[in-house]
Parts: sequence; structure tokens; C-alpha cells
Amino acid sequence: MKYLHTRITEVTYPARDHALLRFAAAAEDIPAVPGEFVMIRGDWGCHPVLPRAFSLVESGAHGAVLVKAIGPGTQLLESMKVDDELVVFGALGKGYRIDDSGLRPVLVAGGVGVAPLLFLARELAARGQRPLFLYGAGTEHDLPLADEIAEVAELIITTEDGSVGEQGLITAPLQRALQDGADSIVYTCGPNGMLKAVAGVSQSHNTPCQVALEAPMACGMGTCKGCAVPIPDGSFKYVCYDGPVFDAEVIYGAADE
Amino acid sequence: MVPLMSERLRTSLGPLTLANPFVNASGTYGYGVEYASFVDVARLGGVSVKGISLLPRPGNSPPRTCETSAGMLNSIGLANIGIDVFLAETLPQLRELGVTVIVNTFATSIEDFVELAARFDNETGIAALELNISCPNVHAGGMHFGVSGAAAAEVTGAVRAVTDLPLMVKLSPEAGDIGEVARGVESAGADMISMINTIRGMVIDVDRRRPMLGQKMGGMSGPAIKPLGVRMVYEVFQQVSIPIIGMGGIASLRDALEYLMAGATAVQVGTANYSEPGISLRLADELEAWCSERDLTVTDLVGCAQGD
Ligand SMILES: Cc1cc2nc3c(=O)[nH]c(=O)nc-3n(C[C@H](O)[C@H](O)[C@H](O)COP(=O)(O)OP(=O)(O)OC[C@H]3O[C@@H](n4cnc5c(N)ncnc54)[C@H](O)[C@@H]3O)c2cc1C
Ligand SMILES: Cc1cc2nc3c(=O)[nH]c(=O)nc-3n(C[C@H](O)[C@H](O)[C@H](O)COP(=O)(O)O)c2cc1C
Repeated sequence: MKYLHTRITEVTYPARDHALLRFAAAAEDIPAVPGEFVMIRGDWGCHPVLPRAFSLVESGAHGAVLVKAIGPGTQLLESMKVDDELVVFGALGKGYRIDDSGLRPVLVAGGVGVAPLLFLARELAARGQRPLFLYGAGTEHDLPLADEIAEVAELIITTEDGSVGEQGLITAPLQRALQDGADSIVYTCGPNGMLKAVAGVSQSHNTPCQVALEAPMACGMGTCKGCAVPIPDGSFKYVCYDGPVFDAEVIYGAADE
Repeated sequence: MVPLMSERLRTSLGPLTLANPFVNASGTYGYGVEYASFVDVARLGGVSVKGISLLPRPGNSPPRTCETSAGMLNSIGLANIGIDVFLAETLPQLRELGVTVIVNTFATSIEDFVELAARFDNETGIAALELNISCPNVHAGGMHFGVSGAAAAEVTGAVRAVTDLPLMVKLSPEAGDIGEVARGVESAGADMISMINTIRGMVIDVDRRRPMLGQKMGGMSGPAIKPLGVRMVYEVFQQVSIPIIGMGGIASLRDALEYLMAGATAVQVGTANYSEPGISLRLADELEAWCSERDLTVTDLVGCAQGD
């Protein structure tokens, strides 16, 4: 766990409305597992008050996060420049539990959900695996970091408007992939609706699936109890410290027999 | 860096002396132990732990938080581990860490407040007890104790009878006449007052055409409520002689100075912890520097904005 008053060291714009921010992670690295996240806030006065959660894209001497500008906090971050100050703490939460029993990894990303999955794909590549990477978005402008993925994974893209890749939803290539019979494991991150659909397809093929959830959160480390998600037994899980990565059946329940 | 004890910053709240006036507010710093690996929690003026009830509480249906202009709403619903787990697991860790622990308690009946207080009274390592009679987020009461002077006095008196711990009562800005409530808890034996808790607000999600929060309403906190808190501390200071711990929207040294000058002897920092978990120590350092430049102590500042 690191708590940094740091500065942005590099900004790139991998797609429209997306910025990849790198920041110095001090003398020591931010040790992280793919799926873990950091809370970040810039020095911008009273509004917005809360920090924002971002998945780490890599770990090391420089932390990196991919920011998609959708509201006030992410717009401020997306417009930041090299040398701007940040308060960063992390790595937080529980990341993907990487299978080591030989299952074929299938990574399914929706939009900015690509961030932790690129990190995971690189981690798998470092272990000598070449994962299947299914990457879905609304349109061609919402596919940041696709080139980086193609270096380490077999990439299939879908867009809803058909501007690039297959037209349609990411669940179509997922169905095909899981039908081919290879014993697989699915790791996914994206909008909550997509996660549920991906978990459903995985479950119908008896394939284990790990989902990375999002929820509005304030503290990021289990103290405010804000990011509760209800689970089938009526209790709550907390995205920031029980997750953000969960086994799909914990969130959506086991298959109806 | 502020030493553990700085003559300038030390502040005395009747039976409770704090090394510096910055306490982290209940519900915004967990139990304190979560931050120990990267914040020197023993150097904080104190930590008011998440409100503790007799039984663990799961909390409200989500979403539980959302942002407002320069603030936020929460409807956590006092999700907490309950007194048994707190005493068995958390308090020993806090003692080990050397944290100045303020135990914030929550109940919906006088009997339960009394039972909580009686059990904490037997424990070592508790610097003060803070009664939350002002939570807006629980349906079955809570806040009703905090909006009338008579009800607030009744619960305070009942708790006073069973504990010798320094007793702090946390007031609600929803009281029609907060001075009356303050006088009520003072007369019933409270040693100090903390104020303000959150005030209910609402945000509507215009896409769904429904309130944003699962509970529809939530308690508002953060910089947006600071003028309300400062005004109320200023008013209450004129009506009671017990010390006041001021809070609501503190995010900078100036904010803390405003509360001290209005009449607070110490302050609590809440929402600002989320963006900067070490903010209270930074503000303590800044206050030390500010006071030493002017050769003042914290005590010199308390209430100095009162009068003509
Ligand atoms: C564990 C985790 C990891 C994340 N990783 C990334 C990442 O790598 N890159 C990235 O761009 N974003 C990521 N997010 C989402 C990011 O935190 C939100 O987009 C951001 O908080 C929005 O802030 P804002 O001020 O721009 O918009 P707001 O005005 O706060 O929100 C705009 C819209 O998004 C909704 N929203 C706000 N916060 C969240 C949230 N946390 N989850 C879902 N919906 C939300 C709001 O209800 C609103 O409709 C992650 C979130 C979590 C919880
Ligand atoms: C998420 C959250 C949870 C809170 N939980 C409690 C609580 O359990 N007990 C309590 O007395 N106050 C609770 N509060 C109120 C704070 O202690 C404080 O009174 C209020 O937030 C105003 O201070 P601030 O503007 O600095 O946050 C909570 C506040 C927030 C934001």
C-alpha cells in the first residue's frame, strides 16, 4: 500500500476522450496484481471532493492509469498535464486470481474495462501464454490500447456500429470461443450489464468467470461502506475490498439447476 | 513535523486532553487501523471510530454515496461490526497502535445507548465516548434524540449515570433550535459537544427520473456544509460552557481556523479524509507553523471571533 503526493510524468491520448496518465510511484514500485486499483485526486480545490477509482494498467516504478472522460472528475484528470500534482493511494482491492491449472485464458473487455485486462494479458504473456482477447465497444473511437493488446494476445474486436471489427456485441465471439470445447477461464471487465451477460454465457458453458465490478465509492479501502453490492443471499459485498474482482457466481448466483 | 505533544497545539476539552486539535470524524476513517500502514495514526489528535451499535449492521441498500457540489451525500445506514467484534478484535489493535480512541456509538433506544456505554466503561484504551444522537440515515430513530433538547438530555443523562468516560454528544444541524439541544446535553452531564453531523439532502438522477440514492435521501457533508457548521458552533459557543469539537467541511487550515475562532476547542475532519487520508496530520503541521509565526497557541484562538 502506497500513499503518494506525486506528479504526472507522462500523458498520452490512446483514443478520443481517453488519457493514459503515468505518475512517479516514488522510490519503490507500486506492487500490483491485475485488477487492483488506485484512488486518485488532483489538486483542483473543493469540487469534486472525492477521489476517483482507476485500475492500474501496469505496476512498477511508474503507475499508469487509463482515464475515460465521462464526468467532472474524469474530465479534470483527462485534461491534466505533465508535472501536475496528484494524490494517489493504492494498490487497493483484490485483483484477478490467475489460473495456473492450464485453462485457456479468455479476456473480455468492454470499453475502458480494457485497462486491467491489458495488464493481465501482459502478465499472462510473461508466463508464456497467448490469451484470447475479446474487445467490445460502441464505436471505433472507444477502443484505446488495441495495438498494445495485439502484441500480447489474439485480439477480436466487436463494435455495435460495425465501424471496426465484427458488428455486434462481445458475447457473440465469446459464445463461439467457448463452444470450441477447450477448457477455458474467462476474465472480464466493463459496464455492469456486459459483465452480467458475459457471466451468463460463461456459466452456460460451465466455464469459470471472474468479473471486475464498478460501484461509486468514497474511500476505496473498506472504511466508508459506500460501494455495497447486494448478492443473491441477501447480504452485501464491498467492491473496494471484497473485490473489485469476484467470481461471477458470488455476484450473480449459481446456475439454476 | 508536529511532535506527539506540542505545547502550542495541545488542547484541553475538560476531562480529555488532545495532543493536537485534529480528530478524524466518525464514519470517514473506519476504525483507524486500516490506515496505520501509511499514516502515523498515533500522531492524530484522535480517531472517532465508525458508529458502533450493539449488533452488527449490514447497512442500507445501494447506491449509498453520490457527489454534490463541493460535497457528497451518504446513506450508509451505520454498517458496522458491532460492539463484540470491536472489543475483541479492533480495540486491542488501536491500543497497540497508541491511537487516541473516541468511541462513537449509535442506538435507537435509550436502553441500548446505556448498555453500550456501560460495556465501554469497563474497557481500557478509550479516551472518550461520543454519542451519535444525530444520524439521518436510519429509519428507526436515531436522529429524533438529537432534535429536541428534552430527548437529548434524557439520553445523555441516562448514559452519564453509567459511565465515567469523558462524554461527548454529537449534535444534528436538523435541530430546530440547536442551542436548546446543546443546553440540554450540558445540563444532563455531557463533558463536551461535537457538531455538526450531516444534514439530509437529495440528488435526482435525471435520466432515471428517480432519486440517485437507494434510500432517496442521504446526509450531506463536505465543504458545502462548512458555513452551516461554523454558524452553529458560533451560536452554541454563546450558550454553553462545555467545550465544542467543530466539524463540517474542513479541508484546509483556514477551514479549521474558522471553526476554532467561532468557538471550537478542537475539530473533526471527515469527508476530506477520502481524498487525502493523511490530511489531519498535514493540517496539524500547518497549524503549528501558523501559530508559531504569530506566537499563539490553539487555546488563544478558541472563540476569538466572538464579540463585536
Ligand atoms: C474499481 C474501479 C476501477 C475503475 N477503473 C477505471 C479505469 O481504469 N478507467 C476509467 O476511466 N474509469 C475507471 N473506473 C470508473 C471511474 O472511477 C468513474 O468513471 C469515475 O469515478 C467517474 O467520475 P466523474 O467525476 O468523471 O463522473 P461522475 O459525475 O462521478 O459520474 C458520471 C457517471 O458515471 C457514474 N459513475 C460514477 N462513478 C462510477 C463508478 N465508480 N462506477 C460506475 N459508474 C460510476 C455516475 O453515476 C454518472 O452517471 C473505475 C471504477 C472502479 C470502482
Ligand atoms: C460516509 C459517511 C459516514 C458517516 N458515518 C457516521 C457515523 O457512523 N457516526 C457519526 O456520528 N457520524 C458519521 N458521519 C458524519 C461525519 O462524522 C461528520 O459529522 C460529517 O461528515 C461532517 O463532516 P465533514 O463535512 O468533514 O465530512 C459520516 C459521514 C460520512 C460522509
